[in-house]
Amino acid sequence: MSLKDKVSRRPFLAALGGLVGLSVVGGAVVEGPKLFRGQFRHHGYSELLSRLNDPDAANRLGMQVLNEAEVFEPQVVASELHRRLKGRVLADVLADDATQGRVVETSGWVLPETLALLCGLAAKIS
Amino acid sequence: MSAFADARTVPSGTTIETDIAIIGAGAAGITLALSLARKSLRVLLLESGGGAFDSKTQALYAGTQTGVPYLKLNASRMRFLGGSTNHWGGWCRPLDVSDFDARPWLAHSGWPFPRSEIEPYFPHAQAWVEAGPLVYDTGKAWFDTFGAPLKLGDGGVYTSFFQFSKMRGSVLPTNFGERYEADLKREPNLSLLLHANITNIALSNDAHSVDHLKVATLSGRSFTVKPKYTVLATGGIENARMLLASNDVMSAGIGNGNDLVGRYFADHAIPRDTATLVLFDGNLAPYYQNNQTDKAGTIFRATLAPTDGFKKAKGILDSLATIEGNAPLDDLGKAAIAATASSMNVDASNAKALSVGCGFELSPDPDRRFTLTNERDALGMPRLQLHMTLADSDYQSYRATLKELGRQLLESRIGMIRLDRATRDEWLSVMDWGNHHMGTTRMSGDPKTGVVDPNSQVFGVSNLYVAGSSVFPTYGASNPTMNLVALTLRLANHLKGLFT
Repeated sequence: MSLKDKVSRRPFLAALGGLVGLSVVGGAVVEGPKLFRGQFRHHGYSELLSRLNDPDAANRLGMQVLNEAEVFEPQVVASELHRRLKGRVLADVLADDATQGRVVETSGWVLPETLALLCGLAAKIS
Repeated sequence: MSAFADARTVPSGTTIETDIAIIGAGAAGITLALSLARKSLRVLLLESGGGAFDSKTQALYAGTQTGVPYLKLNASRMRFLGGSTNHWGGWCRPLDVSDFDARPWLAHSGWPFPRSEIEPYFPHAQAWVEAGPLVYDTGKAWFDTFGAPLKLGDGGVYTSFFQFSKMRGSVLPTNFGERYEADLKREPNLSLLLHANITNIALSNDAHSVDHLKVATLSGRSFTVKPKYTVLATGGIENARMLLASNDVMSAGIGNGNDLVGRYFADHAIPRDTATLVLFDGNLAPYYQNNQTDKAGTIFRATLAPTDGFKKAKGILDSLATIEGNAPLDDLGKAAIAATASSMNVDASNAKALSVGCGFELSPDPDRRFTLTNERDALGMPRLQLHMTLADSDYQSYRATLKELGRQLLESRIGMIRLDRATRDEWLSVMDWGNHHMGTTRMSGDPKTGVVDPNSQVFGVSNLYVAGSSVFPTYGASNPTMNLVALTLRLANHLKGLFT
């Protein structure tokens, strides 16, 4: 991968590439019901989204994540998040993302990849 | 102590003989002249300007430009006693070890010797620029007095330090003309001619040595200097001009048999507000944002630099980021901080957002070059044209370093970063330059790839040398003055050896 690829303007898309591919195979598009602002009560994602300590901020950031993602498949993202977070504290997962170099850019903000996915999911179903 | 001589009083037709003629009384020229004169060599220092700024003399620098917008050629340097130390900022830092290495990922890179070759001269150079003892990254005592550095996670960016030339009246760093005027006047073996412009470096018929120098004044006088050795020390742009314009014996100019003189020009790109650095707890040692002075009087400031290992592993150019003033945050920024900090179980109620500036290294580019034009200055010398380039990859290299910094901030859970400039238009719109002219008479071990050899001698011309940052073949991100003074002290040692 060239340097340019590594620091491209929207590397988040690349980070989601694998997940997008999975969603195409599955062919599923889930339109989550509207949720009350600041709450994550959707039955499929509530456990995941309850990890976010500041729902309003996560929602705002997540909207930008979605704006910059060409495709965002909630089911696939949720599945990946379940895998990453299973039995672990979110803060540790995010720090581990950074340690492992799993960071993405959203409107220039360098974020742990897991946080970007989680915020994107929060915005998607709200 | 006598006054300096004025070339405008030298009768036309005069011939002055000397051991060493040094052309240009800036940081390099003054350092070299005093170093050699103290060894009983007869030294003649020739300065185009007088003791103060003069617009007619300064206008000799004017030239034209194409390509990426750049500073005007007559605005980014000073043509009078002291040279560009008349307007430098006093920032000092040794080049990194890796700056000297040939980098496989970077074409045309590498010095013909490692940094260890000039390291012995750093303490002396430090004294010349009056930047205090050579502390820099060994300054752990500063942490006890001024506060701990950022606890960045392991990675490619670390806290490094600048030191500063002694401030006069809390404003001005060492001006070589003013600071060393008395020393220059005191040396019995040293003569300094003001208002003396070299209009031709006249080679012998076989082109293997300098025979004499033609000198002219704006008042119309002309005379000759016959030195045993000549050192060109007129700055990173004018050194090339002098070699190119002295083309009566060698039609392409002196030392230009391989069409290298004037090429590989570089400066440090200094884009403003390149990133927003957020510290969740708002705590930052004061030396990150402002100069601090320790008990010994050493002035210092922190910078965030890529490690040699990171540069090597990722194929990254050098850069030095500085933390500046407060940065505004929009709603998205506030949300990004709140979402990130809260998810990492960190209190961000006192978070502080700060702007990040920097200076970054350019990749060596033979097409970033000076050429002579048909236009002439008041002395009949051809003026220069600069073709300026700036590769996207150079900025992206710096951006990758910022991103690494952001990763480390997250890893240590102390903060985060926003990269504020993504597109070429965005970062060009905030671009400034360091006025650090380098590369146009590059040093090499091979005449096919350089203008001067590792001793700074022009290839093929036995008694002609070049001093200053024009010989830097690769540039690093450190400010050049202290480094070029170190290199000049090494040249002084070499020249002394020729007379013993």
